[in-house]
Amino acid sequence: MRATCWMGKQKVSVERVPDPQILNARDAIVRVTATTICGSDLHLYNGYMPTMQKGDILGHEFMGEVVEVGKGVKNLEPGDRVVVPFCIACGNCEQCTLGNTSACENSNPTPWLPEKLMGHATCGAFGYSHLTGGFAGGQAEYVRVPYADFGPMKVPKALTDEQVLFLSDIFPTGYMGAELCDLTPKKVVAVWGAGPVGQFAIASAKLLGAERIIAIDRFPYRLKLAAEKAGATDVINYEEQPVQEVLRDLTAGRGPDACIDAVGLEAHGHGLQYAHDSTKQKLKLQMDRPLAVREAIMAVRSAGIVSILGVYAGFVDKFPLGTVMNRGITIRTGQCSVHRYMKPLLERIEQGEIDPSFVVSHQLNLDDAAHGYDMFMHKQDDVMKIVMRA
Amino acid sequence: MKSLDTFRSGLRSDDAPSSDALARGLGWFSLARGAAEVAIPRLLARGIGIEPSPVTSLVTRLMGARELAAGVAVLLNPRSPLPLWARVAGDAFDLALLGLASTRRTSGLRLAGAIAAVGGVTALDIVASIKAQRKAVHPNRPVMFSVTINKPTNEVYARFRDFARLPEVMDYLERVTVDGKRSHWVAKPFGGTRTVAWDAELTEDIPGRVIAWQVVDSLISGRVTFATAPGSEATEVRVEIEVGKGHAGIAKWFAKSQVKGDLRRFKQVLETGEVLLSDATVTRKPHPAQPSEPEVIAKNPHVTNNRSPVEVQP
Repeated sequence: MRATCWMGKQKVSVERVPDPQILNARDAIVRVTATTICGSDLHLYNGYMPTMQKGDILGHEFMGEVVEVGKGVKNLEPGDRVVVPFCIACGNCEQCTLGNTSACENSNPTPWLPEKLMGHATCGAFGYSHLTGGFAGGQAEYVRVPYADFGPMKVPKALTDEQVLFLSDIFPTGYMGAELCDLTPKKVVAVWGAGPVGQFAIASAKLLGAERIIAIDRFPYRLKLAAEKAGATDVINYEEQPVQEVLRDLTAGRGPDACIDAVGLEAHGHGLQYAHDSTKQKLKLQMDRPLAVREAIMAVRSAGIVSILGVYAGFVDKFPLGTVMNRGITIRTGQCSVHRYMKPLLERIEQGEIDPSFVVSHQLNLDDAAHGYDMFMHKQDDVMKIVMRA
Repeated sequence: MKSLDTFRSGLRSDDAPSSDALARGLGWFSLARGAAEVAIPRLLARGIGIEPSPVTSLVTRLMGARELAAGVAVLLNPRSPLPLWARVAGDAFDLALLGLASTRRTSGLRLAGAIAAVGGVTALDIVASIKAQRKAVHPNRPVMFSVTINKPTNEVYARFRDFARLPEVMDYLERVTVDGKRSHWVAKPFGGTRTVAWDAELTEDIPGRVIAWQVVDSLISGRVTFATAPGSEATEVRVEIEVGKGHAGIAKWFAKSQVKGDLRRFKQVLETGEVLLSDATVTRKPHPAQPSEPEVIAKNPHVTNNRSPVEVQP
């Protein structure tokens, strides 16, 4: 089959690789009908995530048609149309039974790697380095899905691929980010990053009833989409306006009740702070550039909530822990336990409360994956979300 | 209970904070001597009774750098035996150099004094090393690893107690046959073709609580305890393996990685009914996360789809 492989820093290519096979009894093989490039794939693309190997198949957001199931899978059969959560979870361990599927204790066959870096193992994930188990990803013609009797969700034919594809990651992730903010009507929330996850965080904050939603980015087309489609009430272009001051003005000095970081480890910025962070990151003295989360912590109202959706790999410097402590700020974060959100969010889509396809900006053939990564990386042609088909 | 003693070893009274004073002193001595060697090599050469030259200065500076590194290593972790043993090795090297230097001495008396001084420090280094070494191995902690399994205690105990079925989890075991308190184990270690066999004798068996065994005619023994996890129905499983008296460092290291893998697989089989493979773990060799060729997969005994699935009650 053809698959998008990571071949080194800023090098991906579509290669011919062996077809996946059923390895475990609870596996299924899915023919991918639609897949997409995630912002977090760019961290792999740019070489910021450790333990990537040349030849790793990328992609953790995908959907498709079941073509084969293992002996242990009773709830799926060939022909079923499914969306697959990016995180792999067994459904049996204590974390899974509590709904924390992104903390599954069984789905990572190489737990010793994250144990060294992060203290305890993380769950397995598709196409996301060997820290998450070394599973081939879904930017391919076919993909093997472990624990297929627990993860994949069947989706109704009436909905298009573009309407349900993002249930695999970014819609639940954005929704979780908003949910972690304890939003009630009359609350003010600011969202750093108006990329696809940021757009869903904004749209979800609206679904949850936030009164004022402030989008922060540097690309006018992204801020425009946030205001026109996702539901932002205010936008701040940080290249033109001082973020902290504008947020103070918008909230009459209080600061937003909650701040969402939908940026992550490759945050962009200006001045000394940015120079400091990018130099340290290049010298491998820190793994992440925590500019957005620092800014969110400084901006949030005292006793407010900072919700971190952006992906971080390891260690950061100059983290304003004193601010967090002295002003009683709550930090909430996590890889999204997608399984928990898929059904309720599908219902919202079916009821017409939201149409996730608003983020799609480009359709590409899988063969053009390299072009897709390059375009997404350099934010060319007003790119928002690229859907790829084999 | 024995396991609790293991946990409480951190409270041992002989772990007084002053016990690493000698090591700390040697660490600071290293820093001082290293700094002097790097800064004033010619003066030192005259001091120990040899004629300074560019070569002696270079050698002295190199030794100074070594001393500085050793000092930092010792002070960072004064209870660790390794940096102290490294100092002993450095002392031996110094003594050899001083022996060599005797060919170009200017004052035999001063050189003899230098050799005596280094010899004295060497003695102190050896004392500190042995002390740290004793401390490091003294608790003689058994190899230990533990997991929490999301199943009731009796079920977990029963599955472990069924030794004949352990080869399903511990892939290096060929078969286990049980005859009363005795069991016969046949293994194929390291994925090879050679088999190893041994007999084990049950020494303790409390249903739902403890299973302990002794490998016949050896120093190897094992003990597993089962306890209900706080606030849940899950079971805490703790395995302790004794691989012999004294150091047995390498054997312990092997045993630990083996026990870790075994317990993880045991948890997976009990909870999910299978041992999960990823694209990267289908082969033992480092492998990118992409599917392997069918013939490679066919050779892997862990591909569970070829067997009938293990029963799991979700």
